Amino acid sequence: MTTYILRRLLFMIPTLLGITFLVFMLVANAPGGIGASLALGGGEGADAGQNRAIQQAYLEDRYGLNDPVLVQYVRWLSRVSPLKFGTPMQRDPVGEVIEPPKSLDPPPFFGRYYAQGGTLPEQVRPKRAPEGPGAVTPEEAQSRVDAFRRAQNDYTNTRGAYIGSVERLKIALENYALANDLAGPNDVIVDSKLNESVFRGHELDTQSELGQRVVATGEAAVEALNNAVASRERLAEAYAQRPFPDSIYRLGPVPMGIPGFVYLAPPDLGRSFSKSRPVSTLIAEALPVTLLLNCIAFPIIYIVAVPSGLLAATNRGSWFDTASGALYVALWSIPVVWAGVLAVGYLASKDVMGEFAFPAAGLNSSEAPDMTYLPSWGDDGFERGVLFDTLWHLCLPVACLVYTGFAILSKQTRAAMLDNFNADYVRTAKAKGVAQGDIVFRHVFRNSLLPLITMFASIFPAMLAGSVVVERIFSIPGMGSLVLGAIYERDRDLLLANALMIGAVNLLALLLADILYAFADPRITFD
Amino acid sequence: MSTDGSSTTPQAITGIQAMQGHGVKQSRGFWAEAWSQVIRRFSAIVGLTWLGIVTFFAVFAPLIASGHPIRFVQTDADGTRTVSYPLFNSLTAPDWLLLLATLGGAIFLLVPIGSLSKAKRLGWIIIAMVAGTVPVLMVTLLRSGAANDWLFGLLDFLRSFERDEQGNAVLAYAVVSIFISASAGVLLTLWIPFSDSVLKRLAWLVLAVTCSGAVLGLTWDNRPPLFNYNDAVRAGTADASYTLIPWSPAQRPTDRNTSTMAPGQSEDQALVRNVDNSLSNYLDNEKLSLIAPVGPTGFDIARDVITRQPLADSTKAELQTVLDRFEETQPDATRLQINAVLRESLADDGRTFPLGTDNQGVDMLSQMLHACRLSISIGLVSTGISLIIGVTVGALMGYFGGWVDLVLYRVVEIFMAIPVLFLLIVAAGVLPKNIYVMMIIIGCFSWTGAARFIRAEFLKLRNMDFVQSARATGLPLRSILFKHMLPNGVTPVLVESSFAIAAAILAEATLSYLGLGPDNQPSWGKLLASATGESGEFFWWLAIFPGAAIFLTVLSYNLIGEALRDAIDPKLKKARV
Repeated sequence: MTTYILRRLLFMIPTLLGITFLVFMLVANAPGGIGASLALGGGEGADAGQNRAIQQAYLEDRYGLNDPVLVQYVRWLSRVSPLKFGTPMQRDPVGEVIEPPKSLDPPPFFGRYYAQGGTLPEQVRPKRAPEGPGAVTPEEAQSRVDAFRRAQNDYTNTRGAYIGSVERLKIALENYALANDLAGPNDVIVDSKLNESVFRGHELDTQSELGQRVVATGEAAVEALNNAVASRERLAEAYAQRPFPDSIYRLGPVPMGIPGFVYLAPPDLGRSFSKSRPVSTLIAEALPVTLLLNCIAFPIIYIVAVPSGLLAATNRGSWFDTASGALYVALWSIPVVWAGVLAVGYLASKDVMGEFAFPAAGLNSSEAPDMTYLPSWGDDGFERGVLFDTLWHLCLPVACLVYTGFAILSKQTRAAMLDNFNADYVRTAKAKGVAQGDIVFRHVFRNSLLPLITMFASIFPAMLAGSVVVERIFSIPGMGSLVLGAIYERDRDLLLANALMIGAVNLLALLLADILYAFADPRITFD
Repeated sequence: MSTDGSSTTPQAITGIQAMQGHGVKQSRGFWAEAWSQVIRRFSAIVGLTWLGIVTFFAVFAPLIASGHPIRFVQTDADGTRTVSYPLFNSLTAPDWLLLLATLGGAIFLLVPIGSLSKAKRLGWIIIAMVAGTVPVLMVTLLRSGAANDWLFGLLDFLRSFERDEQGNAVLAYAVVSIFISASAGVLLTLWIPFSDSVLKRLAWLVLAVTCSGAVLGLTWDNRPPLFNYNDAVRAGTADASYTLIPWSPAQRPTDRNTSTMAPGQSEDQALVRNVDNSLSNYLDNEKLSLIAPVGPTGFDIARDVITRQPLADSTKAELQTVLDRFEETQPDATRLQINAVLRESLADDGRTFPLGTDNQGVDMLSQMLHACRLSISIGLVSTGISLIIGVTVGALMGYFGGWVDLVLYRVVEIFMAIPVLFLLIVAAGVLPKNIYVMMIIIGCFSWTGAARFIRAEFLKLRNMDFVQSARATGLPLRSILFKHMLPNGVTPVLVESSFAIAAAILAEATLSYLGLGPDNQPSWGKLLASATGESGEFFWWLAIFPGAAIFLTVLSYNLIGEALRDAIDPKLKKARV
């Protein structure tokens, strides 16, 4: 059994890789890209286009969006993977991994159209960090952190200035190429990258106004580069001082892994572009809400659907059988969105329901923080309490979540029971004179349990997806709202982490179903 | 399933006669038999009826509900009359193709030409429709800019035609249809053996592709002037006669009517509402109470709003005088009083909104009718795509086994491990929002069920004698897979596809509800989404009608699916009573 579970857990890894790869490719190849949707501003006026281009270049540089897609994917994977290679990373108190400063690419045509004879400033590799913090005084540790933060700010600014100046240089080059008929309007800059082959073998006409503009912006870019390299050096120095503790996962004082080779660290899900908060925090807030919804919904589905399927099977052909069959087909066809909208419009409306209107949105009412947890009878009558308040808010969402499950499960119960009623052992039992109740519950029902467990595997993904819609309709801050927000904002890291979590939860649910299978049916072993 | 007639014939016949075939009824095809069982069920008839209604509107909605007049007569200053037919100019390439396919298909099906059976003719029509859709799809993808790098050259090439003034539509059509015939046509001809003669197949495909290419070329730059007919009619220089429902789903009179109107209300009532909204906005901005006197500024605002309404000049002048007189007698009138006065003086003879409007002030009924096409076509096309992918992948997995199976099954597992709706949301959120992309993504993400089923069937079939002998005689792989094995394993998948269509329609409605549906396209889901306003108001007609339409369509497909399943599967029939 243990081997089986371990093997299943191992097989999850390629599947999860596949899921994230699929989502990553979808988002990365989206027309317009992520940077374009992030850089919304740019202002008005003649420079709007240029400003927007600079802003986009800056954002793409900051989030590493201008690298090849596969490189980005591998980088994301190496961040998420709990097993890491190389030097241990440092982590700040918020939990964000502190990376060594990124290196700078030289501006295009360096030394050719401008800065002839000049040399590129040398960029130092951040030195291998000295031994861990050891016995530093708190003051010294604080001063290291301060120095690092200062250097980091400084480098962010100078690097941003350099990126902006390169973008200006590109625009100057584009204008020059267009004016000199070197290429068409869409050929010089393709996907925000400069197509250098356009300028192959071309000598810059330094007399023309546009040529001079290229030279001037080029010189400015070199100057910005020098500034950036200088502040990068300071940052590298501050980084080497190890201002933050390294992020090797420790069990007590024992570090997990071999520093310098392989080590364990909690997966870093990155930072949300749009919310500027660590993704793991966002998910830690949202996942329990969704799981709560599903954990309430599942028992309800089974409690209603299994007995009704059982009843329909034992009274096959009766009015109950026909009526419940028709009702469930109808329920099954009701779109969740419609049910939700109607529920909000009628059941949550004070005009229709009066005093007993259900809450239409959220997980708690605004007075919830002042309430006690359990319901109580205080001075001014009945006090709902947080627990009851939450349950009251969950009524409509759970109702919208469960009704499609009724149809699937009850149909399945009925079919499985009927299959077993036709089996030989039932005839034998009847011939022996076993009481009808015993036949139904002890023989047939027990044997019909198997398909019901399998159904769990197919209902669960549907419920997870259904809760996306339900959470949206009822403004519940769960995984669904998070996913939709991430989609509207094209928040790649948040989306990927969501895909990972939903995939993992789903796979674990499937595994659970298989294990339950073995418990329900002693004939099945996994060895 | 052949019916052995000899046992039921009343007269006795000899054994020799029976052997010669006397008294044996013509056996019916498997599907014909199943179909006759399906249409004996009441629930299936109800479902088929509803689908018939929806399909009718899917084809004819552009002719039934349009803001473009059928006939538009303009009179110039010097008295010359020009007659135009904007309704027909407003039809897009898909509109024309659907009308053409429906009418041509009906004739081809009902008029007996040659010895083709009805089922075969139906197959030919479906092939022609698929072949004709490919050019439309490609051109739409190209024009929407969804094409990837290798298509950019072609895209620029086609765009260059659009930039020119005239005369290049035919060239564009030539380019498109040659391109499409070459790629899709040849592929289809070689792989789908719907007729024995390759020449016939090619001719049929070329006919379909040429029709669709011609329609595409002719409607390439067909953009009729947008909704200034009323201005001309109001000015008295033109005369317009409208079709049954004089609204288009894209008719968005931005500066005129943005109030959400209830069913049965008219344009005139919309006017009163607009005046009222402007006044209450004004009072809000001035931080005045909503029942405070509006003052001279308020009257000016009311007059201004009235000037911008789509009304005859005489009516406007009349309303202005009414307002002027009212201002003289009651200078400190409130918003509600102005409202009442306007309502009294309106004759209420404007065009009505039979089912009300959505939150943009666009007519509901016309949107409901036009949305039929989206729903029906998304269901059918995306299920078709998922069947093609699923059957092909499943057949390969089941037939080859080994590492092909291993690799492809990992792909299937990936799709199984994550809810389809989640993938759809991601894809619909980042890809271009248009109807064809939506069909493709729904199709591409829901094929795993069919693939798994076909795989299991083929694993069983491949060891059977008839397959072994087909292999031994050296038949090509295509023939073994699709002519020998597939017909023996595909029936349940086809039956389940009825439920798949229902699921695809639900998926589209959900995506549209979430704001991820096709742009510029009326959709039931989108209408449903506007039922609850930002400030908590609830418009019942925006919830009931589109929701019921989705529900009934999905229910119909589910009912037909159940009936089909019972008709096909004798074992289930026994178990299900």
